[in-house]
Order: sequence, then C-alpha cells, then structure tokens
Amino acid sequence: MEHHHRSDTLDRRSMMRLVGSASGIGYAANMNQINAFAQDALNDQLRASGKRVILLWLAGGASQLETWDPKPGRPTGGPFAQIQTSIPGIGISELMPKMSTRLGETAIIRSLNTKIADHGTAYELMDKGRVNEAGVDFPHLGAILARELGNIESKVPDYVSMYTSTEGRRKGSAGFLGGRYNPMFLTDAMMPENIQRLEAITDTDHRDRAELLDQLSKIYARHHSHPSFEGHHSAYGRVRGLMASDYLFDIERESETVRNQYGPTQFGQQCLVARRLVEAGVPFVKVARAWWDSHGQNFETHQELCADLDHCMSTLLDDLKDRGLLESTLVISLGEFGRTPSINGSLGRDHFASAWSCTLSGCGIQGGTVHGKTDQDGNTVVEGEMNAGDLYATIFAALGIDHTKEYMLGSRPIPIADFDSTPCYPILT
Amino acid sequence: MNFSTLKVTNEWPGQEIIFCLAVDPNRQRLWFGCSDASVYYLPLNEEKAERVNLSGDGHSSYVTGAVLAGQKLITSGYDKKLVWWDTESGQQIKTITAHDSWIRRIALTPDHRVISVGDDMQCRVWDAENGENLGSFTDHEKMTPHHYPSMLYALDLSSDGSCIATGDRVGHIAIWNAQTLEKTAELETPEMYTWDPKQRRHSIGGIRSLAFSPDKTKLAVGGMGKVGNIDHLDGPSRIEVFDINSGERIQMMENSKNKGLVEQMQWSPDGKQLLSVGGNHKGFISVHEVETGEQSHIVEHSGHIHAFSTDFENQVMITAAHQRLARWSFQIEDPQPQETKSLTHGDEETDNS
Repeated sequence: MEHHHRSDTLDRRSMMRLVGSASGIGYAANMNQINAFAQDALNDQLRASGKRVILLWLAGGASQLETWDPKPGRPTGGPFAQIQTSIPGIGISELMPKMSTRLGETAIIRSLNTKIADHGTAYELMDKGRVNEAGVDFPHLGAILARELGNIESKVPDYVSMYTSTEGRRKGSAGFLGGRYNPMFLTDAMMPENIQRLEAITDTDHRDRAELLDQLSKIYARHHSHPSFEGHHSAYGRVRGLMASDYLFDIERESETVRNQYGPTQFGQQCLVARRLVEAGVPFVKVARAWWDSHGQNFETHQELCADLDHCMSTLLDDLKDRGLLESTLVISLGEFGRTPSINGSLGRDHFASAWSCTLSGCGIQGGTVHGKTDQDGNTVVEGEMNAGDLYATIFAALGIDHTKEYMLGSRPIPIADFDSTPCYPILT
Repeated sequence: MNFSTLKVTNEWPGQEIIFCLAVDPNRQRLWFGCSDASVYYLPLNEEKAERVNLSGDGHSSYVTGAVLAGQKLITSGYDKKLVWWDTESGQQIKTITAHDSWIRRIALTPDHRVISVGDDMQCRVWDAENGENLGSFTDHEKMTPHHYPSMLYALDLSSDGSCIATGDRVGHIAIWNAQTLEKTAELETPEMYTWDPKQRRHSIGGIRSLAFSPDKTKLAVGGMGKVGNIDHLDGPSRIEVFDINSGERIQMMENSKNKGLVEQMQWSPDGKQLLSVGGNHKGFISVHEVETGEQSHIVEHSGHIHAFSTDFENQVMITAAHQRLARWSFQIEDPQPQETKSLTHGDEETDNS
C-alpha cells in the first residue's frame, strides 16, 4: 500500500459537513434540491435486498478494440488477436484472458454511441447519464444509487469513491440530492484520514456525548418537529458508525491468500477494499483506474492497463461469487468514451464516442451475452445502439429500480434516467 | 561525412504502417513488413516499381522484422512466428512459433543464425536454414518494478556477429557472446523508461534500438528521455553511447526538438557518426557526431519512421514509416565544421548549403 501526502484532507469538521450538510437542505421546499432524507416506502424492500454496485471507472477512455470489441485482421484492429471466451461465439481481446473464462456472469455492451469525445464533458455525461442542463444540478450515478440503495440510518458510508491518480480526477456532485449523498472521496491513501476519534477523548466520553446529544434531541423533537431537525439528528447519528468503519479500508485484515489473489497493484488493492465495503453494506463504490488516454503507444499502454484490469476484475468477480455476493452486486466497467478505430502516427488511438463498449456483471445481468454490434472496422454502431441514458436505465433495471422513477425538484419531475431512456432488456435477467 | 544533401528520390505511400525492411546486397530488391500482416516485395530497379504481396498464410499480426539469408527471407511478427520465404518464387516455405509473445526484432549472424527477441523476454537463436532452435537466454525481467508486463524491444549484432546486445522496457541492456550465449556485460539506461506514479499511473518508453560501433567497442542505445505527459510520445529523442569494456557512458544526445522514440540507429563506417530514425506522430532522420554529441543534421519526415537501411557506398537510404516507404539519396563529403542544418522533408531542393 502506498501512502502519499494527502492534499484533499477529509477532516472531522469536513466529515460532519459531509454527513450533516443535508440537514440544512431538509426543507425540500426550494427549487434546487430535494429532501435528502425523505425516502419513499416503496424502496424499503429494495434496500432490504442489499443490492450493491461497484463501478470500475476506466478514466481517460479504454480502447474497446483492445478489450471487448476486437476487430482482428482489419486495418483498425491493431496487433492483438481475438480469443474465444467461455461463451460460444463470443471473442474478446487476447489482452483479457482471465475475463475470457469468466463471461458467464457478464454482459458486454458493444454499441454505446454517446457522441461526446472530450474528457470533461464526456465524464459529465457518463457520470450523470444525461447532458447537463442549465439550472438543474443533476446528481451523478453514485449519488442516485446511494440514495436508492442505501439506508438513511446506515452506519457505513453510502458512497465511497477512490481516485488516486490525479489526471482526470473529478469528485462528482450529488447535485440536487444534496451533500448527504456526496462520496467519501479518497484521493491519496486508501484509508480515510482523520475519521479516528481524537486521542484526547476516550471512547466512553465520545459515546456518552453521543447519547447525551441523542437524549436532548429526542426531548427537543417532542416539541419541534421539522425536516431540518430530523436531518441534523440523523447526520450526527451516523458519525460514530462512519468513524467505526475505518477497518473496512484496512486490507491487512484480509488473509495473505486473498491479498495475493488481488495482486500487488494499487488497482488490485482498491478492488479488494471495494469488496470489503460492499460486503459490509456500502451500496456504491467507485474504483477509478486512470489513465487510459493512449494517444501515443496505445498498444503498450493497453498491455499494461489491460493486464491490471483483466486480473483485478476477474479476481473481484470470483471473490464476490465465492462469497455469494455477486447475485446482489452489480459490477460495471465503464469510462467516459472509447478510442478511435484508426491508428495514428504514434501508434496511438484518440478519443472516440461513436461506437464503444462497457460491461455489466452480476446483479440482474444475464451473463454470457453481448448486446449491440459495430461495423467490421468498429467505426459505427450497426445494431442495438445505446446512449448514456439507456445505459443508466439498464443499470437501474438490473438493480430493480424503476428507471422511470422521478425526483420532484420543486414542482418539476426529474426522471432518474434521462427522458426516453430504455433499458436493454435482453441482457437483464 | 556530410549529409546535407539527403533528399527523397522515390516515395511509395500506402495505408499501412511499415515496421521493417530488408534490402538485397545489390540494392535492387526490397522486402518490407506491415501492419496488415503482409510481407511485400518491391523491385527497386524498376522505374515504376509496384509492390507485390508474398504468397502464403504468412503472419496474422504486425510484421516487425525481416532479414535476408541468401535466397531466403525470414520475417517475424507480433503473432509470435518466424516465417521463411523463397525470394525467387515469393512463396512461403516454413513457419515456426518462435516465442510465447510478440517478436520485436530479429537479426542475422554472418554464419546464418537468426537471433530473435520477444516480449516473453527471451532472446532465441535459430538455424536460418532449417529453423532449428539453437538456444534461448535472457537477462530481462518479465515484469516491471511496478508489476506490469515488461517488453524486450531491442536487439543488435556486432558487424562480425560475435556479440549480441538486448535491451528492454525498463532500460536494462545485456551483452552476450554470440557463440557461447553467455552474458559478458550489462548496462543500464533508466532514463529511457518513464513511470508516472501519480498522474497517470502507467509507463512509456523503453530501449527501442541498439547499435554496436563498427569496432564493437561502443554501444549506442536509443529511446526516449523522460516524458511529462505520457499520453503522447512527447519526450525528447535520446541516445546514450557506452564504452562496452568499461561500462561507462561516454555520450548522451537528447533532443527535445525531435520528440519521440529512436527506433533504429546505424553507425557511419568510420565510427564517427550515428544515424538514427524515429519520431512521435512525425518522423525524423538525425545525424550525430559521436565525439562531440552534436546533432549535425536533421530531416523531419511526415510519418514516424520505424526502420531504415543505409548503403554508404552507394549513398542511398531507405526508410520504412507510417504509411510511407521512401528512398533517399545523400552525398558523402569531407567533414567540414558546420552548423546544424534542419529541413523538413519536401524542402530539400531549397536547402543545398
């Protein structure tokens, strides 16, 4: 594990702001945010089902041709061969040999056409499932799923995001869902810093203070019922749970065998943390693996990064399966776009959003399936085109969330998946 | 030598990336290997020469190496294969799977043994006549210090065939006795490997070319210097020259104006100059005075140059580049003190100074 100076320190005060900020927006009466603590009863059953999501974020844009949609023998195909997978008729790049034997729980989508091919705007699109709109601060995927899958009383974080490389690092925003659903954002060390109890305060003192606050709050609540107070009370109630969750980030608590299975790379270690988190009930974990932006030496870059992705993703799927968690955990591999079929003079591939790929594994997914098709050179989608909204609708549907559900922003209904989005039903169970 | 008159005399544009070439001793016939997995023949002696695709299954991936062994052409590829061709008939003769990963380079010894290096990090020796494996050896780690697959890019033979040099992604060089296949020396060029631990968390670079001096006392090592943004081939081209006996680096030539990789090098017959080709999205041909380290000549090219062959006697050079094959002529003049001359390919006629 590597430890670096932490520039984005999450101190105790920030932590309180993070968990408590929603208390200040609990009125739900303004046009910019909704009541972060008003969870509808219809979702209780869903929450009880314990569904989780791990997003493997391939920042910078991985090449679909070197992963899930190879074009061997074509001028655009590059030098890598296609290998047969465990699913008859489905081939993927030879750079993904471990995943080739584990497609039984994975669906490949080869037909994303998201049109936007600059990093910043494409990130916004794929992180929110829709293009930005003036005046509406849309939440990103993690925030929506933290709200839909997380329990308001949960003692573990709802949403953890790990992004240790600096290039393309974006925290994202919970938008109108409010700060309650912002991520616990880890940028340097894998262990959240400054959530430990101060040494000057004993655990007993800390517990007594919390109980005193709880008692006073209950007395106050008998005479003053108000959403903002409920939010404030709930936020403080989570603090001890969050402080006690630091062990989840400590992979030294895993056996050496398990740690070795995930391997020595930082991405592998973070995937192991992700498994620990979802096992403990964290509903959404994002692990960013940057940086795939291979304008030069695309093939060497993918030899490095695909080796990491192939090993870590397959180990993660195996581990989740062995623990009985894969049925309830959706693992997504996705970036902001793919890479050009054409190969430039530096043996690189550039940004490309017209015909690219992602994968969905586990919860709600019909494994061993491929959706969509690109032309023989990979320049265009010729079958089953999907946009970002369709992908979001598919993700929600896989998790049992009605993709037509709406949040009320003031008097305006905002569907959680973009207007006219359609789930890709053939890859759903 | 004065390369100021280096200019293109013929060009053969195409859609493919040309990675390697082999020219017959008479400079009349050329074979080259491409990204379309094909090996082509080009009769240089014909006024309007057109390429001919050799017959056979051949390769299934990029063709990265080509050597002539008498009437046979031997090619290598990222498909892990060595393929033998009959140069008279253009027919494929023999194919063997020679490595467990991409073959990056091959070379032919004077006693007709083929030496190959691949990303399985092995250097292997083959009988050029029958393809029999005569030995395998390595001094190169399979994984980088950062736990990612390494690559064995570079290979060169001394002109008498007695020494072999191999160079890898992280900057390690091993020198071998070509008869006993025992390691005789090792060198390090860590500047050729850029690992970005923070911003992008992967690497770029590696030793891409090696060249023994004519008297085999020196070894030139080519690649790219440290890179800030590893998304691109944005680093300075870099050549280091070592005294093999002492292991001491005696010259370093880094040029931020000519960015990218030094893909291949060749010493002038007198051992005073070093020709190199490479580039980023564009290409360059560069001449360095080894004693001073000065770059005495540079020609920019429209495409990244992957390989070249220079005939000093006839003053002809052939370059294999991104979507372009070119023949160049140059004149060898008495060495004169001069300023570095730089011209872009296409402007040659206007620069005859």
